[in-house]
Amino acid sequence: MQCLDGTKRAEANPFLFTRIKARMAKKDGGWERTFSFISRPAIAMAIVLLVMAVNGWALLGRSGSTDNAIGDTENVSELANEYNVVASVDNYDYENLTNE
Amino acid sequence: MINETELIEQLKQGDETAFKTIVEQWKDMVYNTILGIAQNETEAEDLAQDVFIKVFEKINTFKGDSKFSTWLYRIATTTALDHLRSKKRKKRFGFLQSLGGDGDEKESIPDFHHPGVSLDNKERAAVLFKAIESLPDNQKTAYTLHKLEGLSYRDVSEVLKTTVSAVESLMSRANQNLRKQLEEYYNKNYR
Repeated sequence: MQCLDGTKRAEANPFLFTRIKARMAKKDGGWERTFSFISRPAIAMAIVLLVMAVNGWALLGRSGSTDNAIGDTENVSELANEYNVVASVDNYDYENLTNE
Repeated sequence: MINETELIEQLKQGDETAFKTIVEQWKDMVYNTILGIAQNETEAEDLAQDVFIKVFEKINTFKGDSKFSTWLYRIATTTALDHLRSKKRKKRFGFLQSLGGDGDEKESIPDFHHPGVSLDNKERAAVLFKAIESLPDNQKTAYTLHKLEGLSYRDVSEVLKTTVSAVESLMSRANQNLRKQLEEYYNKNYR
């Protein structure tokens, strides 16, 4: 029980101040600040809600535009014809053509 | 030599030289206190850095009601105890993981040897430190401050914001607990 009597004080690293300065400089750096800002519960929750809201808005917006789907398909096939994009020629047809 | 009050005033204005002087003047005191509680040299160094960063950031909250060293001891002991609590939480989580079969084998904690303990007392002190580790937080703090930092009961009571008689009671209970644990240890290993 008495073995700690007369214990000398442990000495800290002589370069402690330099290390503290380095830590403080790192802490003041942009990324560290950004991460600590983003990781605040309120901010993190707000970001999650924003992402969910954008997703919900995108889904609702899409489902509301199904009436235009047929018109869109027609436009696409017109465009394909105009530019001679013929989807019927694939590798198999190409082989058949060369064999003939 | 610049006095303590002036140094603190300069630090409040963000003066780096004042901060350096404070670190150089009190680093051993802070490190030794943390080392006594955390019982790990690498962790104690990191925690000592944390303490001084806190001092730099929170110096404006220091009103001068107590001595600067008392305020510093408070930050050091709180930081060290918080660290131990978070370590304990992680250990508990690790234990739960090991129950699930994911954990590694149980890690064995090496004996802690305080660098200031004389060679003759090295082994006995390591056993005592192991016993100190299991003391409740307030007993551990009071015992460390009194035994390792050599603070009087009055100074300890100021750090812990309590009365001298409360510190006497804490020390008496700490001694009883330690005696009991040491008896168990020696009965188990040497009989």
